[in-house]
Amino acid sequence: MLSKFIDIAIIQGTIRMATPIMLAAMGAMVTGLSGIINIGLEGMMLLGAFFAVVGSYYFGSVWLGVAVALLSGLIMALLFAIFTMKFRAHIILIGITINAFALAITVYFLRDWFNVAGAFSDNAIVGFNTVKIPIIKSIPILGDILSGYTPIVYLSWLIIISMHIILYKTPLGRHLRAVGENAEASETLGIKVKGIKYLAVILSGIFSSLAGAYLSLGQLTMFTENMSANRGFLGLAANIFGMGTPIGGALASLIFGFADSLAMRLQGWETIPSQIVLMIPSALPILILLIFSVRKKKELKNFKEENISKLLSGK
Amino acid sequence: MAYAVEMLGITKYFPGVVANDSVDLKVKEGEIHALVGENGAGKSTLMNALYGLFQPDEGTIKINGEKVVMQSSNDAIQRGIGMVHQKFKLIPSFTIVENICLGSEPRKNKYFIDKKEEYKSVVEISDKYGLKIDPSSKIRDCAVGIRQRVEILKTLYRKANILILDEPTSVLTPQETDELFKVIRNLVNKGKTVIFITHKLREVMEISDTVTVLRKGKLTGFKPTSETNENEIARMMVGRDVLLRVDKKAIESEQKPILEIEDLVSTDNRGLVALNQISFEVKPGEILGIAGVQGNGQSELIETITGLRKIERGIIKIRSKKINRFSPKSIRETGISHIPEDRIERGLNLDATIEENLIVTSHDKKPFSSMGIFDFNKIEEFSEQLINEYDIRTSNSKNKAESLSGGNMQKIVVAREIEEDPDLLIAAQPTRGVDIGSIEFIHKKIIEARDQGKAVLLVSTELDEIMSLSDRIIVMYEGEIVKIIPGGIADEEELGLLMAGIVPDTLQSKMRREAK
Repeated sequence: MLSKFIDIAIIQGTIRMATPIMLAAMGAMVTGLSGIINIGLEGMMLLGAFFAVVGSYYFGSVWLGVAVALLSGLIMALLFAIFTMKFRAHIILIGITINAFALAITVYFLRDWFNVAGAFSDNAIVGFNTVKIPIIKSIPILGDILSGYTPIVYLSWLIIISMHIILYKTPLGRHLRAVGENAEASETLGIKVKGIKYLAVILSGIFSSLAGAYLSLGQLTMFTENMSANRGFLGLAANIFGMGTPIGGALASLIFGFADSLAMRLQGWETIPSQIVLMIPSALPILILLIFSVRKKKELKNFKEENISKLLSGK
Repeated sequence: MAYAVEMLGITKYFPGVVANDSVDLKVKEGEIHALVGENGAGKSTLMNALYGLFQPDEGTIKINGEKVVMQSSNDAIQRGIGMVHQKFKLIPSFTIVENICLGSEPRKNKYFIDKKEEYKSVVEISDKYGLKIDPSSKIRDCAVGIRQRVEILKTLYRKANILILDEPTSVLTPQETDELFKVIRNLVNKGKTVIFITHKLREVMEISDTVTVLRKGKLTGFKPTSETNENEIARMMVGRDVLLRVDKKAIESEQKPILEIEDLVSTDNRGLVALNQISFEVKPGEILGIAGVQGNGQSELIETITGLRKIERGIIKIRSKKINRFSPKSIRETGISHIPEDRIERGLNLDATIEENLIVTSHDKKPFSSMGIFDFNKIEEFSEQLINEYDIRTSNSKNKAESLSGGNMQKIVVAREIEEDPDLLIAAQPTRGVDIGSIEFIHKKIIEARDQGKAVLLVSTELDEIMSLSDRIIVMYEGEIVKIIPGGIADEEELGLLMAGIVPDTLQSKMRREAK
């Protein structure tokens, strides 16, 4: 019975669905660690998805599509940074503005540039092909799980690993973590607080627009309105659940990805009402997180009671 | 002997005030120089100028005889000046080593931190100057005294020769203070120069070679410590004679206690037992002092009594009525008022006005409001009255609380809580970070409350305060009451030992046993 749900295809689906969330989580992480809440990740991802298609369509190259997407992410990140840090605008408001702007402008451009509504697909758009990693692909089972994705999936793994190394092994990463925890202390030690915050915001823009490019060129080779579909917010949640660490954020993203993947599998089953299936991607992660936090609370309570009874029996 | 620091004719204007008015500070190389003055006297301004945080409007600064202009604290650090701020500038989730080396990490392969090297150099410095630490423990798990050591190590790691310590003892216990003094003497023996900012006169006498006194931005005293005394320094600081001892009448209370605590058990935020079956009572007309090194359950005790922390076991009674399940608000309504130990976090809303802060505990009652509408005339009248009575220095009662100095902020909290006219006043660190003029005043107010028949629970890590105010003293150690002693006969040495968890009798018998 269970093997009908959990097979290699569902694991592959998990990884595919988790990739954009992971990238957003990395963006949420770098900004979060530097003390900035960037809820504009969602809008940056959507713009990335759109401009990836635009770039790919006009230049006829998937990588140039990605480059245009990254450029859009960079510009949005710079706007975010300048408005919040230079003009001291409210950080949440700017995030909301970016999200609203991204949604509106992509709809507008779809009509104005391509004369379509809702979605844009064209044979001129070049999408990513899947790549099998040599050697690894020939390992049984593991080869199927770790190999056979589009390049951005591998790129996201690389980003996670490098973020881990940068954060914990280099002065830059240490300074980034210090800035978020105590900016004043960091400043007095000669750390360039503003520079680090700018860098963090720029990285978050790049990561989330890369996630967008993955959605439009890595999975579907088309752009649809509101394509990011809250994955930017899921990234924020995954980062919180992962306690601000690259590995933790990645694992949390996998939970979200699994829920997505499971829902897609169950759509084929007519015995389960479609409403329930549609609920899975949002309900399952909440359920899992709830179980974790209830457990944690219970643990603390048990620990407390244990300590107290130890104390009372000792007397 | 050469001067390490010469600040001559320093003047600094801030909007509306002259923070330093032609002040001189001359610090000899290798000495411990005390810089004293009340809050707002201009000590911090002077030191910030020396540390390059801003530039004076007039005057010159010489370091080791060389005239300097410092644009930023980096310039000051380059010239061998290090500052330990009163508010520590540490990263709680980082280890001690990471904190010390932050911003100047040794590298390997250009891009990576050389973790072995940084560990080694921290251990080296800590050995050299006798500052004992556990390099790999995290700051959030360290006691205040250790955190301060880390701050000192930070300046030494950056090769500071002139150390500015900004009120370093205000957060320390007597034992920690003794240790700090040892460290300071050690530093001076190794050739460092120390500028020690304080307003505790006993410390000036004990540790310093020379003392410079400021009052209202002006230099009022500069003398070798051996040629002056506590009373003279106090006069130079305040501009009048100050009562260093508190006068109070003897207690005569055989009445029923106001607060009764029986076998109270409670845990800290991590779930560890913080209060271990504590029992005591406070009677009307009595000040019960709770002494102890910070972090031995005092904070949890107050939080439990005021309803901010869950009672795990035991009973708390106010006038014989059990209040175990009361909310903080209804506990207040039974006649308890509370001066919290951290005025910024719990005592005040810094964004709100002085008026709002003064009425916040009774804003929903007459005369300040009726039927849910404020009576602003009454509020203003009341605020003006308290501002006068408690000498809160401000130009307008509608200024934000954050515009005030620490001492004046504390006076708002004290005024509000005492004017509640409580049966039980809980005063936690009521004079922390407050200058001597205000300390004298706050102490007087607490004694007044007691003489009116109120019960007072005083929690303080200042032994002087505990000893001069309390009618009885409870010493807490690791969540337990080590001993209860009458206030009159307590001596500092005994209290110090009790606070370290050592009961003198057992100490003696233990020594005897070991001698055999």
